[in-house]
Amino acid sequence: MNLPKSASVVIVGGGISGCAIAWNLANRGVKDIVVLEKDTLANGSTGRCGAGIRMQWGAEKNCRLAQFSVNFFENANDILAYERDIEFEQSGYLIIAANEAEAQQFRKNVALQNSLGIPSVFLSPEEATAIVPYINATQFVAATFCQKDGHLNPFHTTDAFAIAAERLGVRIFKHTEVTGIEVKNNRIESVDTTGGRIATHIVVNAAGGWSKAIGKMAGVDVPVYVQRHQILVTEPLEPILGPMVMGFSYNIYIQQVPHGSIIMGRSDHTEPRDFRTTSGWKFIEEMTKTCGTLLPYLRTAKILRQWAGHYCMTEDAQPIYGPVPEVEGMYLACGFSGHGFMLAPATAELISEMILGEPLTIDVSDLDIGRFKRRELVREQSVV
Amino acid sequence: MMYETDLVVIGGGPAGLMAANTAAGAGASVLLLERDRHLGGQLIKQTHKFFGSEKQHASERGIDIAALLGDELKSLEDRVTVWTHATAVGLYDDGVITVDYDGTYRKVRPKRIVAATGASEKFLSFPNNDLPGIYGAGAVQTMMNVYGLRPGKRVLMIGAGNIGLIVSYQLLQAGVSVAAVVEGLPQIGGYAVHASKIRRAGVPILTSHTIVRADGKESVESAVIAEIGSDWKVVRGSEQTIPCDVICISVGLTPLTELLWQAGCEMRYIPALGGYVPARSDRLETTVPGIYVAGDAAGIEEASAAMVEGHLAGLEAALSLGCGGDGCEEERADCLKQLSSLRSGPTAEKIRAGLSCAHGCQTPKRRDEHA
Amino acid sequence: MLEKTGIATREQIEKLLPSPGRRAEGPYAVMECFQKIPCNPCSTSCAFHAILPMDDINDIPSVTPDKCTGCGACAAVCPGLAIFIIDESKGGGTGTVTLPYEFRPLPGIGETVKAVNRAGEVVGDAVVTRVLPGKKTKTPLVTIEVPLSLVHEVRFIRCEAHQEEDPSVADTLREIPAPPQTADIGEQDDEVVICRCEGVTLREIRDLIREGYTTVDEIKRISRAGMGPCQARTCGPLIAAEIARMTGEPLGSVAPSAHRAPVKPLPIEFFLGGDTE
Repeated sequence: MNLPKSASVVIVGGGISGCAIAWNLANRGVKDIVVLEKDTLANGSTGRCGAGIRMQWGAEKNCRLAQFSVNFFENANDILAYERDIEFEQSGYLIIAANEAEAQQFRKNVALQNSLGIPSVFLSPEEATAIVPYINATQFVAATFCQKDGHLNPFHTTDAFAIAAERLGVRIFKHTEVTGIEVKNNRIESVDTTGGRIATHIVVNAAGGWSKAIGKMAGVDVPVYVQRHQILVTEPLEPILGPMVMGFSYNIYIQQVPHGSIIMGRSDHTEPRDFRTTSGWKFIEEMTKTCGTLLPYLRTAKILRQWAGHYCMTEDAQPIYGPVPEVEGMYLACGFSGHGFMLAPATAELISEMILGEPLTIDVSDLDIGRFKRRELVREQSVV
Repeated sequence: MMYETDLVVIGGGPAGLMAANTAAGAGASVLLLERDRHLGGQLIKQTHKFFGSEKQHASERGIDIAALLGDELKSLEDRVTVWTHATAVGLYDDGVITVDYDGTYRKVRPKRIVAATGASEKFLSFPNNDLPGIYGAGAVQTMMNVYGLRPGKRVLMIGAGNIGLIVSYQLLQAGVSVAAVVEGLPQIGGYAVHASKIRRAGVPILTSHTIVRADGKESVESAVIAEIGSDWKVVRGSEQTIPCDVICISVGLTPLTELLWQAGCEMRYIPALGGYVPARSDRLETTVPGIYVAGDAAGIEEASAAMVEGHLAGLEAALSLGCGGDGCEEERADCLKQLSSLRSGPTAEKIRAGLSCAHGCQTPKRRDEHA
Repeated sequence: MLEKTGIATREQIEKLLPSPGRRAEGPYAVMECFQKIPCNPCSTSCAFHAILPMDDINDIPSVTPDKCTGCGACAAVCPGLAIFIIDESKGGGTGTVTLPYEFRPLPGIGETVKAVNRAGEVVGDAVVTRVLPGKKTKTPLVTIEVPLSLVHEVRFIRCEAHQEEDPSVADTLREIPAPPQTADIGEQDDEVVICRCEGVTLREIRDLIREGYTTVDEIKRISRAGMGPCQARTCGPLIAAEIARMTGEPLGSVAPSAHRAPVKPLPIEFFLGGDTE
């Protein structure tokens, strides 16, 4: 398959965001869309992530974005006519508060979430153990729970978007790396790749960890950095966990996928800011310690493998959405700071609307690239 | 607590034992990790006599060589620590090795590493290959020669390389009949003398043949074999059923290199050496400074070559730490000479071609050398 | 012949034999070693320097018949069990063959055993005249008396104990009727389980390759093949081979899936003991 000479839109990055945007645009009737992926689909952050989705956020915008995505995922197998299964399990998220201060914040969060129609509840530790019987209730003072939260199979979900997009005429080129972007008079003219040049006036930068490098090719400084995040998986067990268990102070998220494996991850802000995806022994020690304390029942579960992926981080851990003032035709969908997977349906909707000049379903104008220069950062505390 | 040492040798087979002995002999402190409960690796189940020359203990049996090398290790016990039943489970980019030492979690930070992790058996896909009674040749050898168990009454051997031929011979010695040795290639892959040994004991060797499938209800009862043509396709009508209760797969070994992958060594796919092997310098150092490789992990060869490689890797690791004294240059030259001699014959043509692809990488400088 | 069946040809054997004069004088070694392999214990073991030193360890051994006493030292050390001591000097129409015999039980002196040729066929009876237990080499040497016409044929013996087992494996091979014609071997292959941990068949793998998933990682992500406890150790190379076969790419350019720690499944509690910092 040869690259076309020109395209209406070139999407850089074959992760969940790139594939979802491609499908969304094509579904709105846009023709000649090309997706460029330097490796294979879902090979970057998407294929390495925990693939959870929650609506329990502390900032209204994040709640709305997640809510949009949950609604989409609930029907995604049908909407995308996917023959396999994206495995969206709405088994809920149980978020635990380690101390009173956190519990106070959680009360406010639940009030906000409920006002937006998100069915979250505030729970005592005893009430929480009714939902996750094996959790060590002495380790937290309160919890919140939302049954509609859940997790998906990240490979199948990306696959579903990609196949649906191709069905609508989108052309996806794997193993095709972008090597340059030609800009004339502050306008994008073409994209150079290892497979040749494509003339286009619109480039969507959904390259995850590599979005900074892609931006630079067009002379745009995308204020993101890359940081390793580690994760591990156990052998499959009988269904025992129920919801995703998450703790911000404990620095853990842990879930059981439909196949039975337990997946758990945590953050380490001291990690160097580079592209390494090697794994570390410290992670496995800290992870097993937290898990062993919080969910002692899992102590006998066998770890099959550990791995790492990137978070594409911004200063305020919020995404960067939309056009770049200096370069006409460059749209950013990056800097998700660990939440790109769950936000992908909303990302796709909003980026499509921006490209087509339609009114935005959710106002994300303050998540633009300009906020960093304006020093108008967004506040959100509910992150791991 | 982090265990600190000059050198960790991963694997207590012929290469690892030689590496540990040599490095300790040169004055380095060595920790030897062996995942089994006893040292020797594959040597302990090799009841046949080895080829090679006296320096590689030719004409001795593997099991005796294991004892010999083990004794040498004991004589160096003030510098060598041996952990048996110790599996290196992770090799991280900061040089730390995590170890399952008899069920206990241990961490080791060595200055140098010799990976002498050996090989694993290749597998074959054919219908019903999951029936009980289908084993790798190595498993059969372990059953018989380590645990004294016969795998069955009548074995069909798949593969006429040295291992297939030797294990067939050892099955006969154990009183198990061998229905036939089936080999896909048009000629026997192993040494002719090994083939003659089992042929005169009545075992047919069927070249240009393959296994089509296994049959049986609860376990293997028979196998269907057939002739294959020069196009590698089964010749229709040539199928025949061989009654047997064991099918033994011996279609080659592949280097066991997971730890080297984990450590980020540059790996190269070299079929002549059995699969992916680490690129290395002629001093057996990989592209990750301080990590050396020796034996089957560096490419599938005879145990004699593995021992010399172990010797060389142990020596190089020790020398890089400033250990060793007079005579090290000669020792190195002698190792290289032995290797080139073992690899000079026509049976080693493939090995030579493979090694020319694996060698010749530049090992980046060590961190401590930059200072 | 030798490289296909393991049986040396008559021509190969005849080239090894000393002159008729030397053969009439007394025992001599016959080295049925026809392949250049790295091995030299025979030459270093000979106290009489009858086997030329090897410049190259891969050299084929070369015997000087006049120096050879037929002592058998080389036959006991040969790793290939390829050296036989032949004595045609006894007269009376018989000769002896001394052969390495690493089977139990050892025959007794005076015992009649079956004389077996290079192809494993019984060619007559033989009487055991000497047994050297081979304490050091653990390779016993058994000497048998056979008709002179058989000294270059007989290379193995079968004792009573062995005879009660399979009469001849080669015979049973021929007796077996051909099976009903297998319908289509290719189709059968489809049901072969490639990833045993996750139960993924070759059919599923082939379908995915046809759909355009042409790396081991892509197939793993969609099908779970390789995600189980063995972490693709068995199925990874098989999947790579199938990709190479179907796409025509060389196997070396089919990227394997990543290798990750730990190398074997370990329980969470394992990391809670021992060396945890």
